[in-house]
Amino acid sequence: MCVSGDKLCSVEDCILGTGVYLRHGYIYSSLAGYVLKKNEGEQLPVISVVRETEVQLLPDVGAIVTCKVTSINSRFAKVHILYVGSTPLKDLFRGTIRKEDVRATEKDKISLGDVQSNYLLTTAENELGVVVAHSDAGEPQMVPISWCEMQCPQTHTKEFRKVARVQPEYLEA
Amino acid sequence: MAGLELLSDQGYRLDGRKATELRKVQARMGVFAQADGSAYLEQGNTKALAVVYGPHEIRGARSRALHDRAIINCQYSMATFSTAERKRRPHGDRKSTEMSLHLKQTFEAAVLTQLYPRSQIDIYVKILQSDGGNYSVCVNAATLAVIDAGIPMRDYVCACTVGFVDETSLADLCYAEESGGVSSLALSLLPRGGQIALVQMDARLHQDHLDTLIEAAMTACKGVSKVLDQVVRQHLQEGSTLRE
Repeated sequence: MCVSGDKLCSVEDCILGTGVYLRHGYIYSSLAGYVLKKNEGEQLPVISVVRETEVQLLPDVGAIVTCKVTSINSRFAKVHILYVGSTPLKDLFRGTIRKEDVRATEKDKISLGDVQSNYLLTTAENELGVVVAHSDAGEPQMVPISWCEMQCPQTHTKEFRKVARVQPEYLEA
Repeated sequence: MAGLELLSDQGYRLDGRKATELRKVQARMGVFAQADGSAYLEQGNTKALAVVYGPHEIRGARSRALHDRAIINCQYSMATFSTAERKRRPHGDRKSTEMSLHLKQTFEAAVLTQLYPRSQIDIYVKILQSDGGNYSVCVNAATLAVIDAGIPMRDYVCACTVGFVDETSLADLCYAEESGGVSSLALSLLPRGGQIALVQMDARLHQDHLDTLIEAAMTACKGVSKVLDQVVRQHLQEGSTLRE
């Protein structure tokens, strides 16, 4: 068990994990919790401090997130970021998907006048894109036909979406 | 004030304490389930409640966002029933804004804000009963609340208000001593490293006495940190036994 500010060990003995920080060559704890030392084969053990309740995760650059679209514009779509990886967030974060970031083609330059204070997202990979969509008719979910079309099972109308090719291991019931 | 001796000849203060004695500290963490972190702390008769939310997305003015750090938003307020006479304006007055700013500066020194860029951490402190040392009690309560919320900090932040009277430093002033013409100094410290987060004084003090006063404040803060440490460890143990 340790509290914030406890000196754990020297930086020569362990590698920094989460919940710790480095100062003057020593590793100190930054959380109040339990010290966990994991041995990873030949390298030095990784030392980290864990709590029972999970610490709030923030979306980081390069993370894969799951979001819900809240408004659509001709230039971009505003989304609420709900999950980072597979952990749900307690508070939602706002993000933006610009039109040019939806597909890998058609990349434009951004102008410096755009105020960037939200997270910028892109779906320009094969595995990224729309996972759930509803047609104009409403209720049932649309079924993907190709990488850019989805069809409603009731009305059989097709609509354009950039569909995500989700890896099978991520698909859960 | 005639007849009220702040320090008697035998070395006793108004409430019977010795010069370096702190008031009794009692604290509880995790008082509210809805907030990310909360704590209630009593130091003598001064009672404060601290609540922490965060880190979360910046609300309101997006322009305040810092690209590499989290911003800490503090709000200090006093309950209307906290003082001897009913307080007319609990928040928004100058004293509260100044106190909020001091709390913000104190916690920016201790919280590892680089881990949460573009986000905001809210710390709200409310004084339920005011009997001197408001700033110190707020800092101590807020430290416990931040630890309860799981926000990484370099170290605890412990604070104490000290005063200088009759060539002696008095630790942990109560209201009667503060208003009795004592030069009071509030100091917040990161006890393990011995680093001072904030020093605040708005009285007159001869510069020869400054060193002794700061020394006394640092010793008092270390005393407070021992108590807070015990509270945190006990809370951790209770949390883990509940799990099992």
